[in-house]
Amino acid sequence: MPDSLPAPAPTMDGVVAAYRNYVSGQLDTLTGQALSLKASIGNNSLEVARRQWLDAQMTWQRVGAAYGSFGDLGSAINGLPSGLPKGSADPGFTGLHRLEYGLFHGQGPAELAAVASKLYADVVELHGKLPTMELAGSDMPLRCHEILEDSLRDNLSGNNDQGSGMALALTSADLDGTRVVLALMRTLVDTLSPGYTAKVTATLDRLGNALARTQDQGTWPAWRTLPLAARQPVTGALGAALESLAYVPALFSTDD
Amino acid sequence: MTSNPTTPPRPGRRSFLIGAGSGAAVTALAATAANAAIHSSPSATPASATAPAVPFHGATQAGVYRPADQQRQACFASFRVLATTKAELKTLLQVLTAQGVKLSTGVRAADPVPAESLPAIAGGPPQNSGVLGEDVPPDSFTMTVGLAASVFDNPAFGLAGKKPKGLTEMTVFPNDTPDPAWTGGDLLLQLCADSTDMVHYALREITKATRGLLALSWKINGFHSAPRPAGTPRNLFGYKDGIANPAQDEQLVWITQGSGQPDWAVGGTFIVVRLIRMLVEFWDRVGLGEQDGMIGRHRVSGAPLGAVKETDVPDYANDPDGQNIPLDAHIRMANPRTKATDASRLLRRGYNYDLGVDLNGNMQAGLIFASFQRDIKAQFEATQLRLVNEPMTDYIEPFGGGYFIGLPGVTAANGFLGEGLFA
Repeated sequence: MPDSLPAPAPTMDGVVAAYRNYVSGQLDTLTGQALSLKASIGNNSLEVARRQWLDAQMTWQRVGAAYGSFGDLGSAINGLPSGLPKGSADPGFTGLHRLEYGLFHGQGPAELAAVASKLYADVVELHGKLPTMELAGSDMPLRCHEILEDSLRDNLSGNNDQGSGMALALTSADLDGTRVVLALMRTLVDTLSPGYTAKVTATLDRLGNALARTQDQGTWPAWRTLPLAARQPVTGALGAALESLAYVPALFSTDD
Repeated sequence: MTSNPTTPPRPGRRSFLIGAGSGAAVTALAATAANAAIHSSPSATPASATAPAVPFHGATQAGVYRPADQQRQACFASFRVLATTKAELKTLLQVLTAQGVKLSTGVRAADPVPAESLPAIAGGPPQNSGVLGEDVPPDSFTMTVGLAASVFDNPAFGLAGKKPKGLTEMTVFPNDTPDPAWTGGDLLLQLCADSTDMVHYALREITKATRGLLALSWKINGFHSAPRPAGTPRNLFGYKDGIANPAQDEQLVWITQGSGQPDWAVGGTFIVVRLIRMLVEFWDRVGLGEQDGMIGRHRVSGAPLGAVKETDVPDYANDPDGQNIPLDAHIRMANPRTKATDASRLLRRGYNYDLGVDLNGNMQAGLIFASFQRDIKAQFEATQLRLVNEPMTDYIEPFGGGYFIGLPGVTAANGFLGEGLFA
């Protein structure tokens, strides 16, 4: 969880610059996490590695990399087996979810050491390229609602789950990322529609509370083990948040 | 995340006006979408002269006796209420009311949109899904809302004192196999119209307008077949179903003053929904004589056995040993047509459903049984108990549904469903 939300930027260029700075900080964190993960897998400390994977995956979610924003490197870091000829056994399946798959399907250093090394290298490379990477201002309003749309479409659907069942944890990190992007755009949004940030924030707070109530002494339950009645407050709050976030891109749109 | 290595990054969806300070593309109105939804006008004219509109407003809800001809398509949707306070529950019922009015009336795209119905931010997602094109016809649409006992039992709403007498969870009868995924819920919507896309459209509009207040728990769509060749439509056993329904003036359906129910419920009705799978492959391997005997009617005409027309009244008094109509025939057990059982009759308004395939490749099809009555125990349950071991039991599997109090109708232009709960 980010310690505090960043200050709003006065222009969209400023938002992009501040976002780039934020991502850089997250990638700093992720670099360290990927290195630890690599070491744990190399030492066959798989229980530790499973916890470290979740920390790393949540850091990536907080980046808010919706919309394939980081291109091939983003896919290498956070790709999925869907669409690959050999699915989860495909050599093109790499990165965080590949580690999740292995760590929750009885694999160990033999299968995962190289994957972990590549993940570390990919994160370092992305971090290195970040300062010159093109980040479009027009993506920022879309990112503001796409991050949580992805939570619903990919995480809470179970589609992304490679065995950990940690959709709630990932959604919680997605919420963090959304809050950061919204905070950066607060001045712009509220200039275009006074008070709208507060309205959206109220729905995000409700989602945050619904997520927190699923936790058992600080640990996240596996999403699929929760009965429908326990999932509904989360998906209901998420749905309400998405309905209000859907108007953020409209504020910046030139066509209607 | 959009992260599949084989998927190229999506191109931008829109062109953007970047930067602050320009309000040109923005019309910021005070109302939020949800607030706007509450205030839609109840007096608008129908969108099309050819598609009939069923009035939403009335002392009783539509979708029971109104319209007189049962619509061809329906969706029965059961929701968990996510509202956490009485005020939120009230908002939910206000939004539902506004949706019911709007969908019943239809919308002409060319008509000016009242300012309060505009979303707070222009240029966002379209006003509706477009599934029905630009003009939304009324299409005989009705929305009927029911609340389950759980709403009255929820201490957050403070409605324990307003709970209707006899509103319980659905009784499990001896041959029922209730599936939790298809049973219960806090709030029922019965959505009926004459076309499938209208029913789909309506549910989609309503769920969007109530996001965060309602969570869909189960839903099932049904169809009311065309008359084959005439008269009452047939169910999936091939029999005319719903021939003998009480008329409104027989006063078996609506809760009235003196019913012993809370005042707020006058004009309401109890709704029973039962999802009844019909083992159609098994049924189709049974001889016609045996089928007729189980039902008590001729399949071809719908007439009671030994009679000619479907509207002929079975004469049990002159058939005490079941020579004509077996004593355990469905129609005879359900409605023995005696003085003692006369008050246990109820209004049936069921729909056939056709879902998919079971584990073994059999069709998952049957009946969405929906009945309306002023007293569940004295009417539906009394009838159901008479039917417990009818021969037809072998061919059906009740697996879901629920009991609900159908709310009274809305008469005032600014009124809303369930208003009496908040008085």
